[in-house]
Amino acid sequence: MRRFYPLIPVLLLYLVLYVIGSEVRGMWQPMALLAFYAALGQAFNIFLGMTGYVDFGYVAFLALGSYGMALSVSSLYESPWLGEGIILIGLLLGLAMAAVLSLAVGAIALRLRGAYFAIATIGVNEGFRYLIEGVKLWGGSEGIIISRPLREAFGAAGANQLSTFWADTLIYLIAALAALITLLYMRSKISYALTALREDEDAAKVMGVHTTKYKIIAFITSAALGGLIGAAGWTLKLTYVFPADVFNITYTVEAIVIVLLGGAGTLLGPLSGGLIYAALKYWLSVTFPGLQLLILAPIILLIIVAFPQGLIGVLKAKVKGTPLEKVIV
Amino acid sequence: MALLKLENVTKRFGGLTAVDRVSLEIAHGEAIGIVGPNGSGKTTLFNIISGVYPPDEGRVFFEGEDITRLPPYKRTHLGIGRTFQIPRPFSAATVRENVAIGAMFGTLSGNVRVDEALEIADRYLKLTGFYEQRDKISGKLTPVEKKMMEIARALAMRPKLLLLDESMAGMPPKDIDGMIKFLKKVKEEEGIAIVSMVEHIMRAVAGFAQRVVVMHQGRKLLEAPTAEALSDSRVVDIYLGRPSEEAEDAESRRS
Repeated sequence: MRRFYPLIPVLLLYLVLYVIGSEVRGMWQPMALLAFYAALGQAFNIFLGMTGYVDFGYVAFLALGSYGMALSVSSLYESPWLGEGIILIGLLLGLAMAAVLSLAVGAIALRLRGAYFAIATIGVNEGFRYLIEGVKLWGGSEGIIISRPLREAFGAAGANQLSTFWADTLIYLIAALAALITLLYMRSKISYALTALREDEDAAKVMGVHTTKYKIIAFITSAALGGLIGAAGWTLKLTYVFPADVFNITYTVEAIVIVLLGGAGTLLGPLSGGLIYAALKYWLSVTFPGLQLLILAPIILLIIVAFPQGLIGVLKAKVKGTPLEKVIV
Repeated sequence: MALLKLENVTKRFGGLTAVDRVSLEIAHGEAIGIVGPNGSGKTTLFNIISGVYPPDEGRVFFEGEDITRLPPYKRTHLGIGRTFQIPRPFSAATVRENVAIGAMFGTLSGNVRVDEALEIADRYLKLTGFYEQRDKISGKLTPVEKKMMEIARALAMRPKLLLLDESMAGMPPKDIDGMIKFLKKVKEEEGIAIVSMVEHIMRAVAGFAQRVVVMHQGRKLLEAPTAEALSDSRVVDIYLGRPSEEAEDAESRRS
């Protein structure tokens, strides 16, 4: 059990968000936003943080996840005997679609190193978007709207409950799952292999590390979790999916910022990065509407220059040798 | 059967032939020195053996198996371990973790658990006298310490063949003597064949290798028992240069 201690602060933080959200009036949506960004960071960190590879096409996995949910609901809503199973199938389909895409992208792009990998992935989300719009796949540019199917399957109240309560709750659960997987990886051979390949890929190979295998493990895990986030946090919550919205590279950039801000490769990093980023973004957009990104960018730049190891990276160095060392990882 | 056998191995980089039709056999448990000046093809030869890149021509055999096109991590599992001329530690990891990575992924069985690997790492850290520093971040070691750590990391892979790339460069003579003693002990106890490559520290070869291969401009110039090789006039020539004809003329006129 001792090995799971580091999960305590993570789960506590999510619990605090959840309790504030459900107990304080008007706080459910802001807290859900924080949880969404924390989950996004946590999922992306498994690839970016642990391997050191930057995937600019990451949002495509969230997008395919959101299509998975949309396809499941829009094609199964007339089978009432499935009940909530439709949502479960949607989540699994989203996960599977993201995983399959990651396998396809990874098999090609993960042969490339560093900047070349980043460039190869940059077109994935745009390419997919144009494919869907061009061949009119899955509703083409009109996307898929599931508000009516949801109402028909679950009734107005049920559909409302799903999109305003369960979608957000699922995000908390996915974030916790991502944290658990991160910790399991950190405590296993996977983390040693990824550390080796992140530091020196050629040396890692000569030390016997099957680098491609471990890169793909991290890539698929990260993508599958991204698929779940897209399925729950986008389609189920918003009840529609439009290609122009879900293949938006902004989310990839936000995910990168969150991971770097909090501390790449750490467990608490993406969570704290997600909280800080989302809170700043939310607060700025309320206080200085329209100017939020202009103000946010230099702040983030400053933080990243001042703490290149990320917030948790700095904190980890500070607590080294103290009992806190066991919890802050 | 030879442990390692190179058959007419050639590697070109553009117009440069870095290794030119080199053949070599190494037996189980043998200690060999490869010497040669800078640019003579030693490191390229090591890279071909460890699988960093395949040769353009020729074949490589390990215990009779053709490994010419085998990826490096699979060669490691067969029992080829190496160090690097310019040390390549996994800088962010501690010394202990570095060595554990070798034990975890580099061994023949391939299913070493994390805790087992850390124990194996401790054993080799004690053996190399590094145990006290095991929790240090490896990127912060001195270059010579990094070389020692790489040897521990390679040994933790339980290789049958250990390739040492300039492992003693930069060490004071006293440490070189200590190192040679250590390598001899390891070779005896673990039955490892060791190929040590040096540019100019003949002391490191003389005290250790049974046989020396001299490389020059990508070719194998000479292969002979150590004492014989190091006193060969051709070896002296490639290091010190041959007196030019003019100089010889001047010399003869003066006398």
